[in-house]
Amino acid sequence: MAEKPRLKVPKEAKKGEIIEIKTLLAHPMETGLRKDASGKLIPRKIINKFTCEFNGKPVFSADIEPAVAANPYIQFTAKVEESGTFKFTWTDDDGTVTSVDQQIKVA
Amino acid sequence: MQTITRRRALGLGASAVLVLTVADVTGALATPAETDAEIAKFTGGKTPVQGKIAIDLPEIAENGNTVPLSIVVDHPMTEQSYISDILVVADGNPRPGVAAFHLTPASGKATAATRIRLQTTQNIIVVAKTNSGQLFTDRKQVKVTIGGCGG
Amino acid sequence: MKRLVTVASLGAALAVAAIALQPARAPAQAKKKEAPLALEGPAAQSPWTRYSGWPKRDMSKFNTLANLASPPAPKEPRKIAGPITGDAAAGEKLVADRSRGGSCLACHVMGPAGKADLPGNVGPDLSEIGNAGREDEWLFNYVYDARVYNPETVMPPWGSHGLFNDAEINDIVAFLKTLKTPAKFRAVVDDPAKRPPPVEDRDNLDDLVNPGMWSTERAQVLWKTSGPNGASCASCHADAQAFKTWAAGMPKWEPRLDKVLGVEEFVFRHAKATTGASWLMQSEENTALSVYLRFIANGQPIKVDVTSPGAKEAFARGKALTMRKLGQLNFSCLDCHDASRGGQKWIRGQWLGEQRGQYDHFPTWRTSLQAIWDIRKRFQWCQVNIRANELPPDAKEYGDLELYLASVNEGLKLSVPGIRH
Repeated sequence: MAEKPRLKVPKEAKKGEIIEIKTLLAHPMETGLRKDASGKLIPRKIINKFTCEFNGKPVFSADIEPAVAANPYIQFTAKVEESGTFKFTWTDDDGTVTSVDQQIKVA
Repeated sequence: MQTITRRRALGLGASAVLVLTVADVTGALATPAETDAEIAKFTGGKTPVQGKIAIDLPEIAENGNTVPLSIVVDHPMTEQSYISDILVVADGNPRPGVAAFHLTPASGKATAATRIRLQTTQNIIVVAKTNSGQLFTDRKQVKVTIGGCGG
Repeated sequence: MKRLVTVASLGAALAVAAIALQPARAPAQAKKKEAPLALEGPAAQSPWTRYSGWPKRDMSKFNTLANLASPPAPKEPRKIAGPITGDAAAGEKLVADRSRGGSCLACHVMGPAGKADLPGNVGPDLSEIGNAGREDEWLFNYVYDARVYNPETVMPPWGSHGLFNDAEINDIVAFLKTLKTPAKFRAVVDDPAKRPPPVEDRDNLDDLVNPGMWSTERAQVLWKTSGPNGASCASCHADAQAFKTWAAGMPKWEPRLDKVLGVEEFVFRHAKATTGASWLMQSEENTALSVYLRFIANGQPIKVDVTSPGAKEAFARGKALTMRKLGQLNFSCLDCHDASRGGQKWIRGQWLGEQRGQYDHFPTWRTSLQAIWDIRKRFQWCQVNIRANELPPDAKEYGDLELYLASVNEGLKLSVPGIRH
């Protein structure tokens, strides 16, 4: 049902390499401050939390406010020492958690 | 097909609120006191040291709906000493908060980037915290442009 | 493909004749088959109603691309008895009141007005107009309807088109007379002479940069989705890559419909006639397919037919329409998009691009609206914005205009979906 998250993560890296990770989730990030055509406030609905773990250990996370643009884009880095799995999660105001895994081979 | 249905719903939503861009939100802008309070919550009231932070933002944004922001803090990322948190606030939006990034030594570099909403011309203030509680800060102004025909 | 047909159209008859003499060749291959099109009925919602959220004002008292209705320009200046005694402070507010069609600051630097926040420079800097020794009557009439002094002006007829009443113009004149020192800008970018023109350097084909790219994924699903007739695009076009050049030759004069068809109208009429799908222009499906067909042709230089008899006439009509004064603000396309007039200048903080460069990236993702717009919707918005009534997306006039615009953009390589503010 939900739009698939979009990722740019290298498939391979050298041991100890710092890689760049780009993530995006399609989401309107409704601020809760806008009015519709009839003057009624549109209720807030945003992604409020993003996390990235590698092999179960936290790498990076973000608390997000309505001032982050629609289709929240988060870019950061990770230092990889071994092959493994990145896990990314996005938490919606309504409690929905979207998550996706991505493998990386470290030589 | 489900995906398409959902995209259509988003598309209609976008056109239905077409003229209600960020410039049309209701309510007053954040006050300097609210902005300071948001920063104080993060710093515990301590005064951050100016510098060490590179904020990449356009000097002028053609619209405030999706302004690219990139932050690099000049600090090592070792188990002993690393940047653990980066706070971003804006002093001209309805509320000052933008995002708080939480980093670890596994981040490798003290950097984060996102795209933000700016209702009007304003300052973006970034405060970075190390694992031992050292604080750094810097700020940058973005001019959000004004359209010609007035809608 | 269409481009080749166009270029070779004179030689085509000879080639057909020659090939006809070779019995091994199938005649169907020698002469290109016409694409089936649904020829009846409109290709867009009908009757057309304006998009929800757009300004609702009705501007039928003024010219549109289809209809002439604007009042004629006055022949004589209005006589003003005695000095004008307006309220300069009220005038200062009016010149920066964006709700009045953008008002004066859209095009003029005017000293302290609007805190000199991003004024435009289509017209002259008026910060010292109070020293110019202009008569009150001249100032009044220049604001009321500048055409009495300069028939070629791009300045809106603020008074005769009803954007400001006489009392308001008196206030504006009173303010103009106070302007005697150069504007002081708070930031360098506030000065339109020093403000750098925007540069679009985002990677528009990166799906993490441009949400418009997501339509190309939707289109690939639609391509294989059967319509009511049990067929899909893929039933006849197994490989979409066969359209490597097609979109670069659009729009195209269509004799069967006596109008120019852009990709969007073609998609509607062709799908209707084949798969039976009813993908009206401006529907999600139509836009996705239209983006995709251009996306496949990315990198191909734009080259449209403007020489066949029907196309030649459409091109001439389109060119004439770019000079027609439209709406309450009385702007023609060229007033804002030709460098000899307002093009390559600022209206407030908004840069007016020239016609060349305004076609190769459409449909384009608009970050300000979080939506993808095709060229017809862009035409419509331009008109509503200058306070003219828009036409339905499938209007013949838009076809003519699109053909002319594509021709002006000849040689530029398609890069779709674009991304703009």
